[in-house]
Amino acid sequence: MSATQTKLQTSKAIGRALIADDELSNRVILKALLKKLGYEVSMAENGAEAVELFEIESIDMVFMDIMMPVMDGYIATEKIKEAAGEKFIPVIFLTAMTDESALSRCIEVGGDDFLTKPFSHTVLAAKIKAMERIQELHHDVITLYSRMHRDEEIAEEVFSGAVIAGNVALDHIRQLVRPASIFSGDILLTAYAPSHDLHVLMGDFTGHGLAAALGALPASEVFRSMTAKGFSPQQILQGINNKLNTLLPTGMFLAAQFVKISNTLDQVTAFNCGMPDFFLLDGKTRVIKHRISSRSLPLGITSEISFHDAAVHIRTQYNDHVLLATDGVSEARNHDGEYFGIERLENSITHSYDDDYILNTVSRILEDFCLDAPQDDDISLAEIPLIPELLPAWDLNSLHNDNIKQTSDNPSQEHESNSVEFHITLRGSQLRQADPVPMLINYIQEMIGLHEHRRPLFTILTELFVNALDHGVLGLDSNIKTGPEGFTRYFEERERLLNELKDGFIRIGLHIHPFEQGGKMVIQIEDSGIGFNFSNRQSTDESASLKLSGRGIQLIQGLCESIKYEKPGNKAEVIYVWQE
Amino acid sequence: MSIIAKTSGDGRLVRISINGRFDFSQHANFRNTYTIEDAPYRCYEIDLSNVPYMDSSALGMLLVLRERAGGDKADITLVGFNDEIGQILNISHFENLFKLERPQAA
Repeated sequence: MSATQTKLQTSKAIGRALIADDELSNRVILKALLKKLGYEVSMAENGAEAVELFEIESIDMVFMDIMMPVMDGYIATEKIKEAAGEKFIPVIFLTAMTDESALSRCIEVGGDDFLTKPFSHTVLAAKIKAMERIQELHHDVITLYSRMHRDEEIAEEVFSGAVIAGNVALDHIRQLVRPASIFSGDILLTAYAPSHDLHVLMGDFTGHGLAAALGALPASEVFRSMTAKGFSPQQILQGINNKLNTLLPTGMFLAAQFVKISNTLDQVTAFNCGMPDFFLLDGKTRVIKHRISSRSLPLGITSEISFHDAAVHIRTQYNDHVLLATDGVSEARNHDGEYFGIERLENSITHSYDDDYILNTVSRILEDFCLDAPQDDDISLAEIPLIPELLPAWDLNSLHNDNIKQTSDNPSQEHESNSVEFHITLRGSQLRQADPVPMLINYIQEMIGLHEHRRPLFTILTELFVNALDHGVLGLDSNIKTGPEGFTRYFEERERLLNELKDGFIRIGLHIHPFEQGGKMVIQIEDSGIGFNFSNRQSTDESASLKLSGRGIQLIQGLCESIKYEKPGNKAEVIYVWQE
Repeated sequence: MSIIAKTSGDGRLVRISINGRFDFSQHANFRNTYTIEDAPYRCYEIDLSNVPYMDSSALGMLLVLRERAGGDKADITLVGFNDEIGQILNISHFENLFKLERPQAA
């Protein structure tokens, strides 16, 4: 190889040509011409020799006779083209044959051109020039293609590292991802909120391939950081929307399905922004219990969009399954150009098989339908079973016991001088827009740390705030929630009241008293509501309190030192104690 | 697979007819139907009656035209689309961004 290269440089050869012809005079004449054009020349007396020479030398162009002993030019050409593989080595037939079928066969076996003998030197030189041009183009395409391929592979690694690696609960969420190119424009993101709610987002960027996947990095970053800080799905969608709207060029957007699965597994809040319907199913009977249709523009198109009306609240049961799917599923086509379609998708869902996961059945039926037909768009499916294993383990008892132990050990070691105290009051329309809990938590952490206590504090503050807002300021009655449609009605009513809200306030006060090793936090919350019959809530009878006060208060009681209500029931004080 | 644009006598209305699948392969053709300078002063009517299928990159191309034509002030009407495309527009809630003229039931 290096010897040839040196020779190329010294003689300024532009390449090496191979002549296959059984007649000496033909070879000699052609060799002289090729030398004049700047080629090094190798010569073979028959097809077999030509193939042999081609394999050991680095040949750039081949001139082939048809009729030769041992092996003819057709077979030799087939073998040479096969050996050349991806590289473009032009084979020009030079033949005395004028029979049209003989000539057209030259092209059929892989030849690139032919010329009948006797031929003019000028014409042959012109043909060689044309072949060199094609060769260059071919070389450029191959180089570009391999560079693109390499770039995509690198990007793919970054993508899986940054976007996919952060996902949680994947042991129990079943996924099917079939990208149309290396890169998928579809993304599946999962993360736990501080409350242990699970957030799942299935997104589909405009188009597919590398360009489509570009938006996945900022989208996943916003999704994760806002989920970790405890923002609501509405706020997270708003955050992703605004980020993408600033970053992405017009015409690129993200359609998304978003579900929040409550830490109690009995409630799902669902959003569909420009995606096909997705489903809530009974995991056992596979009956479709809910279809969640698009209620909003996709994300990244305009900043003037509110996701508050887009929420669908659904009461769920143990082992219900949420099935998310991008439009690549219903728009997958078979060889006849027929679409898989929504009907087939729904039929394959309700089809009864014995698999634990519905997705297995769906993907099998989809595969049988498409076989190896070319794929136009990314296909993604995800299935989330509502089972306890989905959520991180949360040991309520150990937290509680720690706190009790702590107080009895250090009852009088308060350092009043170090105590911190602050208040926040939200009024009227502020209550509609702002969820103060993430902000409060961040503030607490900045001042005194308490990172391990983020989750319980988050839950306590959220439960208190939601109670104060729903039952205090808005005056909603929990009893609306009962009955099959009650749950939806409750949230619709809540949304309506919130939109109309002008007056009212919620005041939150935090007093933090550090001890030698640990501390105590007194949380006071007051609302403008008329209060409620708190004596019922403080009933010592376990079952009565369970029934009347609902899960929220129960949860707070489990997490904190004490909770008490002040007359007329619109003021609550919670004491939370920790040890370091 | 072609896109034809016709401008009305007074130059105010541009009718763009699209033939065939409306997807990324039409990008350059579609982009050539309007100029950046003229776009804000014109109304657009996009005829989709010969489009059997449209994907999300087509939605993207429509959004680019909308921005060029003045964003929220743009006057763009989509006409003649079939049920499947109607569904895609519906799912994406594009009625908030474009005028949609549903074809008369036959």
